[in-house]
Amino acid sequence: MAKVIYEGLKFRYKTTLIHRLDPRVKMVLSIALFALALLGSNFYQEAITFVVTTVPAVIAKSLRRLMRVVALSVTFGVFVVVINLVAGGTIVESIVLAVRFLEIVASTSLFFVTTSPDELEYVLRWLRMPRDFVFAFATSIRFVPVLLMDLTQIIDAQRSRGLELDKGGPIKRIRNLIPVLIPLIVNSLVRSGELAEAMESRGYGAVKKPTSMNTLRMTVRDWVALAIVLLGTTALIWLYLYVL
Amino acid sequence: MALIEFEDVSYKMPNDVMALKHVNLKVSRGELVAIVGGNGAGKTTLLKHMNGLLKPASGTVRVDGRLITEFSVAQLSKLVGLVFQNSDHQLFAESVKEEIAFGLRNFGYQPSEVESRVQYAMRRFGLESLSERAPLTLSGGEKKRLCIALVTAWDPVVLALDEPTVGQDHLNKMRLLALVKKFIEERRTVIIVSHDLEFLWPLQPRTVVMAGGRVVADGPAASIFNNFALLESSGLRQPQLARLALALQSSTPFDNVDEAVSWLKQRYGSYHV
Repeated sequence: MAKVIYEGLKFRYKTTLIHRLDPRVKMVLSIALFALALLGSNFYQEAITFVVTTVPAVIAKSLRRLMRVVALSVTFGVFVVVINLVAGGTIVESIVLAVRFLEIVASTSLFFVTTSPDELEYVLRWLRMPRDFVFAFATSIRFVPVLLMDLTQIIDAQRSRGLELDKGGPIKRIRNLIPVLIPLIVNSLVRSGELAEAMESRGYGAVKKPTSMNTLRMTVRDWVALAIVLLGTTALIWLYLYVL
Repeated sequence: MALIEFEDVSYKMPNDVMALKHVNLKVSRGELVAIVGGNGAGKTTLLKHMNGLLKPASGTVRVDGRLITEFSVAQLSKLVGLVFQNSDHQLFAESVKEEIAFGLRNFGYQPSEVESRVQYAMRRFGLESLSERAPLTLSGGEKKRLCIALVTAWDPVVLALDEPTVGQDHLNKMRLLALVKKFIEERRTVIIVSHDLEFLWPLQPRTVVMAGGRVVADGPAASIFNNFALLESSGLRQPQLARLALALQSSTPFDNVDEAVSWLKQRYGSYHV
């Protein structure tokens, strides 16, 4: 399941219109969809937001991947419904909450699926986030595939020693994770230590403001897309507040 | 009947790369087989089919006459003990003793037998003085010895070593070599995946050469290792001693430099500068 979620969120290079947008515009798009999901208060509004979310996903040729992640999140959606029903909410309210959760998942996934780790780093720097935080965040995303590869190898190695991760009750299954998690965590810690030494050996921290190979620059296309996103969001908010 | 049999096996990786293409291979009981090839040749993928971690996309793999699809990984691992290349991917227990006991418990051995097998494995592999040490604090050579010990503890029919010499210094390689020779004397079935031909040369194993997911050659070490063109095209480097023997037109391979010098002295007499 973790692999499917990761595959759903992993950036894949494509040359669609959405992929080629400035990452700041993509961030505004995701935030706009996120906000629309939060603002929706009835089923029709949430349904419209859901449909609107699929539009950039289709343009980005990532609808199937997005839907896979959303489908996996349905379990949590059901959990949300149950909790809300227990808390005294109606079935319609509960379903609206669950749909809202799925839209939040979709809008966040859309950003990560269409934005490379490098672009993410540029955006965070543009937001004047502390350099060390930006580096740590971007590096952690870059190392997710490495960790997943490690995890696969570790699971293979422990299965070769008779460990059966899919057998037994819940307590046993959790205990069976120990031989997998310990090597994974230790390897990660060792790797991060080595990376830190390698970075220092390559001058990290030598100057307060290092130069950058790439800078973000908005093109006409980006400005047009930004205008469409902002106008569309404003129109939908008006629709939600005064019409639907 | 072959102990392990690959029949027209192909396997596709998740990234759509064909890691194995129409592989046919038989390993008999008591054989020492080296599977060699450059990076990405499909050696480890082949190995992982033997204990069921991977299942073929087409073709069949049989272990002891039965299809691997009839077994779980745990059941197959009891027959085919696989020592992974990276020791750090396996070690997690609080002590060397516990680490060796882990697999035995998984396979359902009774506590008394677990204890005796653990003690035997530690004695055999010189780990007694390290029994209470945390495995993660051991040196590279000690970790490799531990990984071999913990697999042999349940006495698998086949011992498969994946790149056993990676990261090992010369002394540990010599220790490994001595271990493998002992396994051969005990008539165990041993499969070694490696691109370290210098390490394999003294063992003179049946050698299977892989390249691009295919088996490109299969024969005695002498004929394979002496085929410079085959090795080069498969991304391998001919062992120095094999090259020397070929150049000197020696009919028997040299196991080490001393043998080569003795041969030279016998042939040409001593030479004093």
